[in-house]
Amino acid sequence: MSSPTHVDRPGLDVSRMLSDRRLFLVLVTIATGVVMSLLSPFFLSVDNILNITKFGVVIGLLALGQTLVIIGGGGGIDLSVGSMLGLSGICMGLMVNAGVNVWVAAVITLGIGLLLGAFNGVLVTVIGIPSLIATLGTLYAYESAAFVAAKGVTITGFAQAGYAFLGQGKILGVPAQVVLALIPAYLLVGAMTGYHRFGRRIYEVGNNERAASLVGISPARVRFVLYGISGLLAGLGAVVTNSWLLAARPGAGGNLVLQTITIAVLGGTNIFGGRGTVSGTLLAVVFIVVLSSGLQLAGVDQIWQLGALGALLVLTVMVNNLLTARSGSR
Amino acid sequence: MSSSTTTAGRDTAVGQRSGIAGRLQWRAMAIYVFVLGEMIVFSVLSANFLTAANLGNIALNAADLALIAAGMTLVIILGGIDVAVGSVLGLLALISGTATLAGVNPWLIVVLAVVLGTAIGALHGLIVTKGMVSPIIATIGLLAVWRAVHFSLWGGSDLFAPPISLLLVERFAGIPGVAFLVLVVYGGLAYVMRFRSFGRNVYAIGNDAEAARLAGIRVTRTTIGAFALLGGLVGVAALVFMSRTGVIQAYSGQGLELAVIAAVVVGGTSITGGRGAILGTLGGVVFVAVLQNGVVLLGVPPLWNGLLLGVFILLAVSIDAIVNRRAARRERAL
Repeated sequence: MSSPTHVDRPGLDVSRMLSDRRLFLVLVTIATGVVMSLLSPFFLSVDNILNITKFGVVIGLLALGQTLVIIGGGGGIDLSVGSMLGLSGICMGLMVNAGVNVWVAAVITLGIGLLLGAFNGVLVTVIGIPSLIATLGTLYAYESAAFVAAKGVTITGFAQAGYAFLGQGKILGVPAQVVLALIPAYLLVGAMTGYHRFGRRIYEVGNNERAASLVGISPARVRFVLYGISGLLAGLGAVVTNSWLLAARPGAGGNLVLQTITIAVLGGTNIFGGRGTVSGTLLAVVFIVVLSSGLQLAGVDQIWQLGALGALLVLTVMVNNLLTARSGSR
Repeated sequence: MSSSTTTAGRDTAVGQRSGIAGRLQWRAMAIYVFVLGEMIVFSVLSANFLTAANLGNIALNAADLALIAAGMTLVIILGGIDVAVGSVLGLLALISGTATLAGVNPWLIVVLAVVLGTAIGALHGLIVTKGMVSPIIATIGLLAVWRAVHFSLWGGSDLFAPPISLLLVERFAGIPGVAFLVLVVYGGLAYVMRFRSFGRNVYAIGNDAEAARLAGIRVTRTTIGAFALLGGLVGVAALVFMSRTGVIQAYSGQGLELAVIAAVVVGGTSITGGRGAILGTLGGVVFVAVLQNGVVLLGVPPLWNGLLLGVFILLAVSIDAIVNRRAARRERAL
């Protein structure tokens, strides 16, 4: 378990290879890509690869927030990411239909996402409700609020002021939403976790809450910020979704939470906090996108894809934990 | 001198014990006070609420929720959770409905549903214990897996099935038959949790699994047992669901886990485990069921249902969290 005492041994060590999740992800992504290109020669074309990247944007943004909240530890998890996306997207639709400029509305939507996330943060860090149950409650409440606000129907009216470019346009052949939303978000958060003092605190709080508070770091404050970031990213996800579909659905976030947790865990984030990387999550997003578009090509039903994802989540965690336990007892 | 110390020590111990018992009872009683208040409000606001027919409807509609919530209480007290119950209910209802339409003997279907449910629950427990996957992660994944299985078995159109037994849905003196089944389950489980070693082990594991293991409690076996018991009750609930709605759809049971967890938590069971009572959950179920019914009677659009339920979960757990923190602070101050 303790890495300093770990002696490098020559030869193939499967458990170590699996424990460097990023290498593992790159390998399985390549393997999946090869299999898919055998199924369809179209799959490995540059056009197709660039095209499918846009399916990773919204889910990637939500998974990034999920990763941060989980790394922050203390049983942290954000089940409400999809509902925050749905509710902030509907708010944006109402604003646009009330005559607010679409870009102004987009900025306010980010703020709404931030507020929804901050409310989760208050429930967990100030009131002290376990994260699981607090965000389960807001999952319910936010989604339902979105349906109430939208009166249960899809809101349109986004086609103005060049807003559609964000979700549908391309920059040098790459989908604009990848260039303008996904990459900046991952670069910023990656820089924060890797190089900024706050990033280090996230890991310290996640690893050992007690030790962190003894050296003057407030776990509650750090986690509060993480829930806020998760909400902000969900707001950004809503802005992208609305621009892509030029419509806001109250149930837009429906099944996304399962995917975000799967991606975070697959990317090497430890569900008990303290461990995980932004790059690991990004690689897991790539893998999931390749896998699901491949399954799509193979004609596998959406619901089976979801089921496969669920099985993948359980198996990844199981294999990971069993291997860790074995290497720990050795 | 020594005797007075002992007496003082015993006094403190007794004081603490009655304090904890008092608080537990207060928590269990509190939900019934809320239920009473809720019922008074709805009786005043709607003339249709406090009628024998409507109360019977509430009992019938809440029966599957009640059965699952009873099992969920055990799993949550133990420190676990199972969010896949809605998917499992849908799957088992689909299988039972298909068997009913194929003319299989009803008793055989009952056995089939309960055995399958128990096996699925045991599998969940196995993944959590032997597979070392945290309960929430495991069951979030399994939620999707069972829904996918449900889809693959589902014929593509709604399945209309007759009740497994008319005894469940028929009313005796205005009370639907299934309500008696629910009361027997709650009575039995309340007895087990209070007076049998299995129940005490569940509390012990929820309080401190490692300490329970060191004290010789078979943590793995008890955990799998609790999940299996929940699974069995989901099997019974699936039969009730099928019998009371008469139709099984692609998304039958979806979102049910939220109402179940709401009922358990509102009923005073701590989501972090170790604390809770079966009879509190019964109050929680009634609270949630009356809320859903009253909201409909008042003509509030059903869209508001989730919002109200979400807000009530958050209110209940907020009160719980604040009370707990006060108690912890007092303990530290002593």
